[in-house]
Amino acid sequence: MLEVSQVRKEYPAPDGPLTILSGVSFSFERGDAVAIMGPSGAGKSTLLYILGGLEQPTSGTVVLDGRNPYELSEKELAAFRNQAIGFIFQDHCLLPQCSVLENVLVPTLVSTNRAGGVIYMERARQLLDQVGLGDRLNHRPAELSGGEKQRVALARALICKPLLLLCDEPTGNLDQASADVVAALLLELHQRQETILVVVTHSAELASRFPARYELDHANLHAAGA
Amino acid sequence: MRISTLLARNLAWYWRTNLAVLLGVATAAGVLGGALLVGDSVRTSLRDLVLARLGNTDYVVSRNGFLREDLAAPLGSACPMIAIDGMVAHESSGRRALHVQIYGVDQRFWKFQAEPGAPPSDHQILLSAALESELGAKSGDSILIRVEKPSAIPLESLHGRKEDVGKTIRLTLSGGAFREFSLEPQQGDIRAAFVPLASLQRELDRFGKVNTILAAGGPVGQILKDHYSLDDLGIKLRVLEQQHALSLETDSALIPDALAERAIATAQSLGLRTEPVLTYLANSIRANGREIPYSVVTALDSPPAPAQRNGITLNQWAARELNAKPGDTVALDYYLWKSDGRLHTMSATFRLAQVVPLAGEAADRDFAPEYPGITESNSLHDWDPPFPLDLSRVRPIDEQYWKQYRTTPKAFIPLARGQQLWGTRFGRLTSIRIFPPSDVYAGALRVALDPAQMGLMVLPVRARALEAAHGATDFGEYFVYFSFFLMVSALLLTGLFFKLGVEQRMREIGVLRALGFSIPKIRFLFLLEGAVLAVAGAVVGLAGALAYGAFILFGLRTWWVDAVGTRLLALHPSIAAMGTGAAAGIVTGLCTIAWTLRSLQPVTPRGLLVGERTPVSGKRSLIIGSIAGVLALGLLAAARLRALDQTAGFFGAGTLLLIAALCLESAWLKSRSFASIGGLITLGLRSATYRPGRSILCIAQIACATFLIVSVDAFRRDADPAGTGGFPLMAESVLPLIHDPNTAAGREALNIPPLTGVEFVSFRLRPGDDASCLNLYQPRNPRIMAPPAEFLRTAGSPWPLLESQAVDGAIPAIADANSMTYVLHLKLGETFVLNGTRFRIVAALQDSLFQSELLISEKNFLRLFPDVEGYRFFLLKVSPQHAQEVSGVLEQALSDYGFDVQPAEARLASFHKVENTYLSTFRSLGALGLILGTVGLAAILLRNALERRRELALLRAVGYRPAHLAAMVLAENVLLLLLGLATGTVCALLAIAPAVALRGGRLPALSLSLLLAAVLATGVGASLAATSAALRSPLLAALRSE
Repeated sequence: MLEVSQVRKEYPAPDGPLTILSGVSFSFERGDAVAIMGPSGAGKSTLLYILGGLEQPTSGTVVLDGRNPYELSEKELAAFRNQAIGFIFQDHCLLPQCSVLENVLVPTLVSTNRAGGVIYMERARQLLDQVGLGDRLNHRPAELSGGEKQRVALARALICKPLLLLCDEPTGNLDQASADVVAALLLELHQRQETILVVVTHSAELASRFPARYELDHANLHAAGA
Repeated sequence: MRISTLLARNLAWYWRTNLAVLLGVATAAGVLGGALLVGDSVRTSLRDLVLARLGNTDYVVSRNGFLREDLAAPLGSACPMIAIDGMVAHESSGRRALHVQIYGVDQRFWKFQAEPGAPPSDHQILLSAALESELGAKSGDSILIRVEKPSAIPLESLHGRKEDVGKTIRLTLSGGAFREFSLEPQQGDIRAAFVPLASLQRELDRFGKVNTILAAGGPVGQILKDHYSLDDLGIKLRVLEQQHALSLETDSALIPDALAERAIATAQSLGLRTEPVLTYLANSIRANGREIPYSVVTALDSPPAPAQRNGITLNQWAARELNAKPGDTVALDYYLWKSDGRLHTMSATFRLAQVVPLAGEAADRDFAPEYPGITESNSLHDWDPPFPLDLSRVRPIDEQYWKQYRTTPKAFIPLARGQQLWGTRFGRLTSIRIFPPSDVYAGALRVALDPAQMGLMVLPVRARALEAAHGATDFGEYFVYFSFFLMVSALLLTGLFFKLGVEQRMREIGVLRALGFSIPKIRFLFLLEGAVLAVAGAVVGLAGALAYGAFILFGLRTWWVDAVGTRLLALHPSIAAMGTGAAAGIVTGLCTIAWTLRSLQPVTPRGLLVGERTPVSGKRSLIIGSIAGVLALGLLAAARLRALDQTAGFFGAGTLLLIAALCLESAWLKSRSFASIGGLITLGLRSATYRPGRSILCIAQIACATFLIVSVDAFRRDADPAGTGGFPLMAESVLPLIHDPNTAAGREALNIPPLTGVEFVSFRLRPGDDASCLNLYQPRNPRIMAPPAEFLRTAGSPWPLLESQAVDGAIPAIADANSMTYVLHLKLGETFVLNGTRFRIVAALQDSLFQSELLISEKNFLRLFPDVEGYRFFLLKVSPQHAQEVSGVLEQALSDYGFDVQPAEARLASFHKVENTYLSTFRSLGALGLILGTVGLAAILLRNALERRRELALLRAVGYRPAHLAAMVLAENVLLLLLGLATGTVCALLAIAPAVALRGGRLPALSLSLLLAAVLATGVGASLAATSAALRSPLLAALRSE
């Protein structure tokens, strides 16, 4: 379960602190798929990064599976991000120097799970098969299309079987066809893995695929349409 | 997938940046390894040189005098020769070479040294290549050599022949090259002449004698001790049949105290009785208004000498001539040659104790030693003594006495009184009588004597040469210092490029953090990459070390030859040096890389992902800059008020000011108000704030290099008249001057024409190793000089310290400060041991003429080196306008002595030339480092341009032409260059202000300006190239991708 309580985020500015998020609270269960929408600069990505342990809130708490990542040490937080969270960025953020398979396996290099490289290798191949890139294992990101890169990023995000899957505009840079493919895969894999899926998007079309939709507006989060 | 796989991928993908990092480490490792290689190479070259010149010689047996040639035989592989310092002249051209080593050799030398060809024979001479070239001589030319005539009788004794101390020999130059030979370590050209041994022996009247034996291997010392004879020490044992005694005498006619002590002890150990004797020549014996000229007087401890200290015994003949009876006052007049180079007439009075008949012990003519020119003469009128003789005083009755009694003494005095009047540093006895004559005495004395103590030395020349070849100067260390900035520049570039690489991969770092990589893990990954690059760079640096070392040695043989005085230095690769350079390159490279990774911490993962940069505040820089500035002002004030040493104060202030300036510039760059935009150029200047850290790094690198290069000029030495002590001229002679040229008698004896207004200060000189920076070899046996006592009293501090008495008995010595510190590696007050004697440095002279030697008092000099006679070094006080004329006159008049005059300032300039060459080297290498810094500047410029290509693309879209963009980029770069140059120059000028003031405000403005202009030009050139590269990338395509 993901519980967010009264999260507030401010940034220092020359004219006084700039409030991005103000008293955001919600909770999601495993299997929930949520889309968060809002205008540009509303703080959607900021909220995502806070959920992902990448940005400390000014105040408030975030608890995932009974653990508040911001109460962990640096080492524990890194391990938490590695095992509990999968992240997909708008521009995939693949390492250009690594192959498709290697990119998917990058998180396993620091995994505390001693299950072993063979298991991860098998899982990576499996995930790449599931995203339709089973025959592109040795290709470099430069040889892939935008959609294909995002699919690799999806596989990478799921390699360590995370509880929480966070996506920041996953189809923002894609054409409609690719976006559809990625969106479908996203939801399919989320269901298979039973993750908590949180997607930040300004695409109404993408958001419409999600059973739960929220809007972030004027630093507050509320159910879409409310 | 393993970490190593990711590592390999990263290294390959970012190969451009990684290559730059690798080259940076390679440069640092190469420079350090190369500098150390230079040290090893110089040491090895010096060692090879000295060993090649020694040939097969391991030991040298020598004596200040001559020994039997046959002594070489039992030493096995040995070669007798004569080695003597002299002058050589090319007769037809008149060209002269002074201080040439002249060797009398024969086939044995050729065989010993395994030389091909044949030695010179008859009247032939062979010259070393350098000497031949110096004289412009060719085969068949007539060559004159002039050497000091050996004299067993000390020149500075009454009977020493002073009028002609040299011997000139004419020889013909023979053809054929000869390998260089030298017994002394020296890096310069060998100036040597080889003449036939037999010819030299004949000319010097030393048949069958040599003064040097070369030996290879073996226990030379023991063999020598087993085979030397008393004759080799100049000791004679004469059987006196009539007296039933042995008489121990020496070639010098004086028995040194050490020998006397040992001789008497040996006799006593054999149960023999001894009688020490001192015989002297009195000019007159006077009493009762009468006088007897030129009489031998003997001092004894037994009859017929009286027991009373003030008593005198006359023989009957003398008493009759003087009409003297016991109780009368008798006066002796006699000559005494004193250490001031003058013949003094002295007198002593006695009371007549007794008159003895001319018989028995009182008629013993053997009390007197043999004096050439006197004892063998048949009459007083035939005497040819080395002192004035007034033959008009000689009466027929005196001649009659001489004819009948020869050297029989006319008077006897107590030994102690005689030694008080006539004792010299050479000895206080003329003979020792041993009773009865013993067959075993000679053998016993030979065993009891230590040949080394008696002057028959065995010198381990090969071992000494190897020690000396370590060098007085650690060139490795020096070139590490000189190359310091080059290394720092290379390391800064390494860090800069690595930092650029890390900044380039910030997003990737953000992704890794998002994927669960902790900061330490990421740091470890980058460090691992850095380690691989550092190791690879160090390996490449090995080749760089060889190249850099070769370059430096080439420089030392050519542009910087004045620092070393030889072109015979070669590169000798050494694993230790290169390994150290590589290891240091790895360590420093890794440290630099680790230092750049500290910038990873402050930015959040989110910040990394979105390309956010840590907002930088200039507050800290402002605070540090202000504190440093205040401290700088404080130091300045303290230095001005002389509360602090001026040089240290100004230098400290300059350095603090540099730090303050850089901090304030950093704060200025970080401030929002930097460069209000009023046009194209100011728009470009504002770009310097894009990455203020990078900008300030560039400014700092250039400023530090400029500071070092400008301020090093503070140590440049120009000729400072104070170093000459007010003496415009100085001179050295090959042959010693025995007479005092300040006296009329001395000038007459030396054939110097009247010279008004010229004053000589004559120094005693014991030849040895040059202790100045002109000598690359470590001086093991430095030159020692002694000024006259009068000079110590009039010259002022610190000279009187030479006459102080140390509680521990150490001999006080004065040295030049530079020689003391950098060549002899001693400190003020430190003691050191030389040939078994302890010395203490009691004072150090600043920038003096005496950089090649140590100075002690004349009293100590005569006690330590009694056999070193005469004066060979001179300071001349003369009015500057007559200096040149006086030089010419003296060199002409004293040409037989090899008298060489030079302006004192020229001597100082020769020392300064070495120091100034080192400074030029430092400056050149520092300038290279500076140029390397401008490469870094260009790299930053290119990096900034690439990172800001969207911004530049936007400007193109709104109408800016490429020329406009180039002007903006150049403006930014020129700002950084000028800030760096200006900051470094201003701070350095402040730092060297006192030194410049001391020189009357003179700075090498032209060379400095040219150097800084070259740096500016290089920097601008590099920037233009970087700008051109940056603008060539498709800017509009970058804009379109937004």
